[in-house]
Amino acid sequence: MKVLVIEDEKELSDSICAYLANEQFVCERTFDFSSSMEKILLYDYACIVLDVNLPGGSGLDILKELKTQNKTDGVLIISARNSLDDKVFALKTGADDYLTKPFHLPELAARINAIIRRKSFDGKNEITCNELKLDLGQKNVRVNNDAVDLTKKEYELLLYFISNKNRVISKNAIAQHLWGDNMDVADSYDFIYTHIKNLRKKLMQAGAADYIKSIYGMGYKFSV
Amino acid sequence: MKLFAKYTRINLLTTIIIFLLSATAFYFVIRYILINQVDNDLRIEEREIETYVHEHGVLPEPIPVKDQKISYALVDREFLKRKFTTEHFEGEGDSFRVLHFGITAGEKMYIATVAKSLEGTDDLTRSILLISLATILVILVTSLVINRVLLKKLWQPFYTSLDILKNFRVDKKQSLNFPSTQIDEFTFMNQTIGKTTNQAQQEYSLLKEFTENASHEMQTPLAIIRSKLDLLIQDENLSEDQSKTMQSAYTAIEKLSRLNQSLLLLAKIENNQYADTSRINLKDRIAEKLDAFHELWQNQNISVTSTLKDATINLNTELADILLNNLFSNATRHNFSNGTIDVALEEKQLKISNSSHENELNSRQMFLRFFSQDRKSRYNGLGLSIIKQICDVSGISIQYLFSGNEHRFILTW
Repeated sequence: MKVLVIEDEKELSDSICAYLANEQFVCERTFDFSSSMEKILLYDYACIVLDVNLPGGSGLDILKELKTQNKTDGVLIISARNSLDDKVFALKTGADDYLTKPFHLPELAARINAIIRRKSFDGKNEITCNELKLDLGQKNVRVNNDAVDLTKKEYELLLYFISNKNRVISKNAIAQHLWGDNMDVADSYDFIYTHIKNLRKKLMQAGAADYIKSIYGMGYKFSV
Repeated sequence: MKLFAKYTRINLLTTIIIFLLSATAFYFVIRYILINQVDNDLRIEEREIETYVHEHGVLPEPIPVKDQKISYALVDREFLKRKFTTEHFEGEGDSFRVLHFGITAGEKMYIATVAKSLEGTDDLTRSILLISLATILVILVTSLVINRVLLKKLWQPFYTSLDILKNFRVDKKQSLNFPSTQIDEFTFMNQTIGKTTNQAQQEYSLLKEFTENASHEMQTPLAIIRSKLDLLIQDENLSEDQSKTMQSAYTAIEKLSRLNQSLLLLAKIENNQYADTSRINLKDRIAEKLDAFHELWQNQNISVTSTLKDATINLNTELADILLNNLFSNATRHNFSNGTIDVALEEKQLKISNSSHENELNSRQMFLRFFSQDRKSRYNGLGLSIIKQICDVSGISIQYLFSGNEHRFILTW
């Protein structure tokens, strides 16, 4: 699957592509407005990661052009602007999601995965990962066809892990994912530990393998 | 003391002194001149007597004339000196100017005394004195009236400018408009005030812009650092020590980006970027928040009680969300395991209380930026100032109470 990263900050673009470059994604990059316009008109992408402030123009104009051309590429806006108005405007213009800088790369990967899933299965989708089966519509999990009773947060956590398979996710990224920007209580990492412990226990009790590994107390990895 | 009063007092005092001095001087000068006049008349009389004696050899008969007395006294020695005196005579109301001079008639030596009444002179000086006093009085009264009426009118633009200046807010965009005045000094003053306040507003807004821009510009490097850390921890060969180092870096970056976000938020609130308000159903909002925090509280064994009545508030949607998040986060993070949180929503009031081991907050400083009771705190000390700022721009009054080990915030609107 091809992903286009339109971001003028080269270092950030490097990081994004390095993180996304696994077996699943092929990353292409552009750094300014005109070359981005060229690319989006010539090729189709599963998802476009689009920065709003670009040299030579606004990312939102690229988004508008995509919509005028009736292109179905998924669009994830990344911007330093975090006001509700900006988000609403971008989503109304046709973006699929909006992520505020600074973000964690696992968060970006999870969002891109979600956009691609939504685009390809029309929302009626399932993720299968060995014996695990996640029904994204019903928001439930089955292990070898047996339902596992997870809390909302545990389900979100599992989905997040599966979107970042074989990657180390820092506790900070997990906290941010579960609690968002505004809740300034998330640095109680014990809480994340409890959540992950419960999730592991429930999955293993249902007969799943022990996928979640702790990495020196710094983060966790979902190894498949 | 008012400028008027001060000015009037000095003015009055000097006027009175000058008038009194000049009236006294005037009195003496007039009196001197008038007496000189009378002395001249007496001298003429003396010459007439001398001429008479010279021609007839005898003293003239004193003719009784009004206001004039002539008498002779026989002396045994020649009286050489001529002498002017002012005397009072028995039975006469007025004083007299008297000239004594020696005269020889028929080989006998006499002292002749010619006296002229000073009645007219006294009357004149008295009138002059009265007129002067009357003038002083009239001038004082008029100057008082002028001071009161005219000065008040003259100073009116000054007070108008002061009133306008009172409404000046450095964080408001509109500049001050002074009504035009014909007095150069006031025009100059208004221009200067206008220029200074405009400059202050400009610098203030530059400062605000700077804060906002600085926070904005910081987002990208922060995003880069964070993304590099996210990549770095993918390395299979990281040792435990290195991982710990990475964790510290993560925590610091987290703190920095939160700080940055909070500063940006404060700058935006000050910039009135959250001016659109809508009617918010607070009961629903709080119920949502209670739900969102539920697992967190459960995890820390914090028991939460809530009584929610229907309540609405005019508030910006985003700010409402941030306000509630901050209030609940605050009540959670300063709490302890097995602690309590109580939420009570009434029609026009929201009370949030939480148990805490921390001491009473200093009510004068608690809303200041970067204030934190405990210097080593993990939090940036902006939470309460954000709460306060949101309350301030939204017309909500916030009150803090402390009793036992319970901290309570009461929001009223």
